[in-house]
Amino acid sequence: MALLVWFTTGIALWHFTIFLPDRFWQGIIGAFLGSTIGAVIFGAIVGTASGKGLGDTDVSTVLVAVPGVAIGLAVVWFLGARAEQQALAE
Amino acid sequence: MGKRRKHVFVLLFVLGLIAVSGIVIANKETKLGLDLKGGVQLVLQGRPTPQQPTIDNGSMERAVDIIRSGCDELGVSEIEVSRVGSDQIQVGIPGATSVGKATECATKPARLYFFDWEPNLIGREFLIGGRPGREPPKGPMQEATKEWQEAGRLPTKRENQQLIAAGAYPTEYAAAKLASEQELKQPCPKCSQPTTYYLFEKKKPHKLIDGPEFTREDLFIAASGRKRPADAGLVLKVPQGTIVVSEKPSDANGQVLENAEPGWFALKDDPALSGTEITRPKQESDEFGQPNVTFGFTDDGRKNFQEVTRRIAQRGAASAIGPSSQEAAEATSGHFAVVLDNEVKTRPIINYAQNPDGIDGRTGAQISGGFNSIQDAQDLASFLQRGALPINLNLISQSQVSATLGSEALHDGIKAGLIGLALTIIFLLVFYRFLGFVAVTAIAAYGVIFFALVKLIPITLTLPGIAGLVLTIGVTADSNIVIFERIKEEVRAGRSMSSAIAAGYRRGIATIIDANVVTLLTAFVLFVLATAGVKGFAFVLGVGTIVSLLTAVVFTQALLGTISRSRLLRSPSALGASSEGIRWHIDFIGASRWFFSISGVILIVGALALATKQLNLGIDFESGTRVEVALVKATDEEAVRDALEKAGISGGEVQKEVNPALGDNAFLIQSKTLEPSEINEIQKELEREFGIEANGFNSTSVGPTFGTTVANSARNALIFSLLIICAYIAFRFDPKFAVPVLIAIFHDILITAGIYSLTGREVSSGTVAAFLTILGYSLYDTIIVFDRIRENMPRMPRAAFSQIVNRSMSEVLTRSLATSFTTLLSVTCLLIFGGATLQDFAFAMMVGIVSGTYSSIFIASPVLTAWKEREPGFVRRRERITGLEGSVPAFADETELARLADDGEAEVEIEEEVAAQREVQPKAGAVATVEPAVEGDGGKPSSNGEPPASDPATVARRERNEKRRARRQQRRKHGRKR
Repeated sequence: MALLVWFTTGIALWHFTIFLPDRFWQGIIGAFLGSTIGAVIFGAIVGTASGKGLGDTDVSTVLVAVPGVAIGLAVVWFLGARAEQQALAE
Repeated sequence: MGKRRKHVFVLLFVLGLIAVSGIVIANKETKLGLDLKGGVQLVLQGRPTPQQPTIDNGSMERAVDIIRSGCDELGVSEIEVSRVGSDQIQVGIPGATSVGKATECATKPARLYFFDWEPNLIGREFLIGGRPGREPPKGPMQEATKEWQEAGRLPTKRENQQLIAAGAYPTEYAAAKLASEQELKQPCPKCSQPTTYYLFEKKKPHKLIDGPEFTREDLFIAASGRKRPADAGLVLKVPQGTIVVSEKPSDANGQVLENAEPGWFALKDDPALSGTEITRPKQESDEFGQPNVTFGFTDDGRKNFQEVTRRIAQRGAASAIGPSSQEAAEATSGHFAVVLDNEVKTRPIINYAQNPDGIDGRTGAQISGGFNSIQDAQDLASFLQRGALPINLNLISQSQVSATLGSEALHDGIKAGLIGLALTIIFLLVFYRFLGFVAVTAIAAYGVIFFALVKLIPITLTLPGIAGLVLTIGVTADSNIVIFERIKEEVRAGRSMSSAIAAGYRRGIATIIDANVVTLLTAFVLFVLATAGVKGFAFVLGVGTIVSLLTAVVFTQALLGTISRSRLLRSPSALGASSEGIRWHIDFIGASRWFFSISGVILIVGALALATKQLNLGIDFESGTRVEVALVKATDEEAVRDALEKAGISGGEVQKEVNPALGDNAFLIQSKTLEPSEINEIQKELEREFGIEANGFNSTSVGPTFGTTVANSARNALIFSLLIICAYIAFRFDPKFAVPVLIAIFHDILITAGIYSLTGREVSSGTVAAFLTILGYSLYDTIIVFDRIRENMPRMPRAAFSQIVNRSMSEVLTRSLATSFTTLLSVTCLLIFGGATLQDFAFAMMVGIVSGTYSSIFIASPVLTAWKEREPGFVRRRERITGLEGSVPAFADETELARLADDGEAEVEIEEEVAAQREVQPKAGAVATVEPAVEGDGGKPSSNGEPPASDPATVARRERNEKRRARRQQRRKHGRKR
């Protein structure tokens, strides 16, 4: 259930990336990957560290995914920005 | 063959098919599932035995044959036995009103073994012996008595004394502990069972929690389906080669006391012969008139029987001192035990004085003294006659539906289907006039042919199958709508009626085939991977989709083609195409930000609901037993709970149920998974206390294994559906088209899950089928939008991708709304009139259809746009349009683009402009959206790097662009002059 919650949170927050300038690696699809993968991985790390089972969910399960989404999006943004700079340099 | 002739030929063919279908419908019976006609349904899972270490095709087939023939002999008629997957068997017993006998005939392994008792006994039993006329040794007897006392079983009680004297252990734990200390015997082809596991309580007297199971993992799944903690108790592993058997005491007359607590023995698993070596078992009476079961032996069995009895007799004689009378010989004679399914049924002495050379098997043998009634003896004889199952069969799911509830469900399903059909017909007639009439004819033809197929194949019609049928009516109407909208477009564009019809079918057919292939793929994956209940739905959906292609496309094309030149179709108003029709002019892509925000907020709410309220998983997933009962005497929950306690069931939830089919005094009982005998106890107790209405008792039990199977099959079906469908879309369209489709599907499924969580509705295996259908439906809609985008791409070679998408969506929006509306009509009817089971299904469908329509328009297409616009070709188009217009309008101006396309100079001009821009601008990165150019105010360079206005070439270009803009605004204001 926790996996489902993290994934849902990742997709939910991804919808709002439409308001950001599109500098993500692979654009909106890259942002989708960044937010969902980030949410699930970060959620899993925090979940494991806190010793909570996957079936044990509450509001904090949603909140835990938020920094994961931010980190995932930041990574994809960084990759996109670097690709842009490389393209400019060429 | 000319077109007209071809059409007439197709019409005659379909009419012939309808006539044949009519004959089939009149003469063939409809095969109804157990949920519609009532009865008992069981799902069994095969487990290996030492003789059959793997579950293969042969052993499963043998098990199916034994169940089928065996249950027939037990008087269970019309039994339906079929294999499900590689290791499951589904048994349906129509008309059965209780689970007891029906379940027993299918699940009782009836494995009979004969043991030379004393050499196989392990532990102190050997010392005590239990032989009549012989005083057992004092030391071991004292030790045994103490142990029985410590276990809380009175050693002074007559039946306990009997068991102590036989050398039995007071608890299963004590016997299993001893058994667990024995060595593993491998290989052991003669062994009656493989290594088994037991879970006992940690505190004394170590009551049994679970077992015997064939795997350690099975011990840690409770009957309720919940996982047990790792430290739930003590696990004992009894290695192959040793078994734990029980024996019940008997009264003074030798009658087994069925209700008495048994004693336990650890035994070497080395049977002398097995049930496969006996013949002609039958119930008879012994010399005292008591029921017994007699049987003969096969040739091998006879030899083995004589050999083992001789061995027992010789051993008895050897331990005697001098010649003995028959009575005295009993003290040293050994026992021969008949063990049926790990329970000692009888343990006679082989008196060496009476049978010094053993017993000749030619006269057969008998099991006597262990039957409470003639029926018991008859049942055992029948089980032995049936033969032992080659594998162990675990009951993992069982359900009992009363005939009343079944017929009520059928009635509800038919009512919902008819009302849905009527509303769809009214909508089609109002919206499409004569074309609507053609569609109604097609639906009628579909109904007749499909119903005939249901009878002819035959398809067992179940409740989910009816839901599939209702859905295919929507799909049939959808196919017609896709084509009719095309025809109307062509008529409005000024084509003649016959060429509009031809063009409509030509252009619509690819879309319909793509959409139907996706539906068929979903149905196929569901059929292959899903559990039995969902299979019926998938089969109906698959067959229905194929038939709908015949009636909605081939038949209607032939019908319209034949009458296209008739007076009926002279006027466009006959098709509902007299006016301009609804022309959508919505900037879907521009508005997508707001739709994304709405979806984001809904999903956040859904995530919070999933996290806090989770999903209300039904017993299909969680396992357990659910009983619905209609009582005669009015009562309340407390009284029903008391009755359950009396039946030995504690901890069950009882609630009054509102179910018109069961009347005003209906109750729903939910508990952990109960054994068939426990369900029978409940039925008997409720009958005794309150009386049960005729056919007013329904039960469903799902074991944890079945719950896991349902969950796994749902997950696999989902993953495989997605993979196959994405591969199809990538193949038919473009790999980039597949990704937005996936995202839209995630969107739909998560929104549906969120709504289920918020509303607390139960998620059953039917809901899973609905979820997977949503997947197919969402794709159907998305494919129709994408198909139009694909069609418009070559038509708009200069337009930005967002403009292509805006135009495509505007063109198909009416169709999308019309098809969603017709399908929603069917589903709404299921929701309102479909009865409890179909309502659950319809609710998931309704949420999914609304979400699917929404996501195909407002999620999938904008995502595709954002991704495609990063492609260099589309980036250049945007730059070109921005250069000309200052920004990218929502819709491409066709006249202007066409003029530019025809004007070679314009093309060169644009290329030059773009080249000039490239020289001045820094190289742009891969940015999806090209922002509108900021218009300069003189000589200053614009923010996006445009050259200064003082450049004569730039000034001239801007002047030209200004003139074009002015012309365009003029046209928008006053309309286009042709």
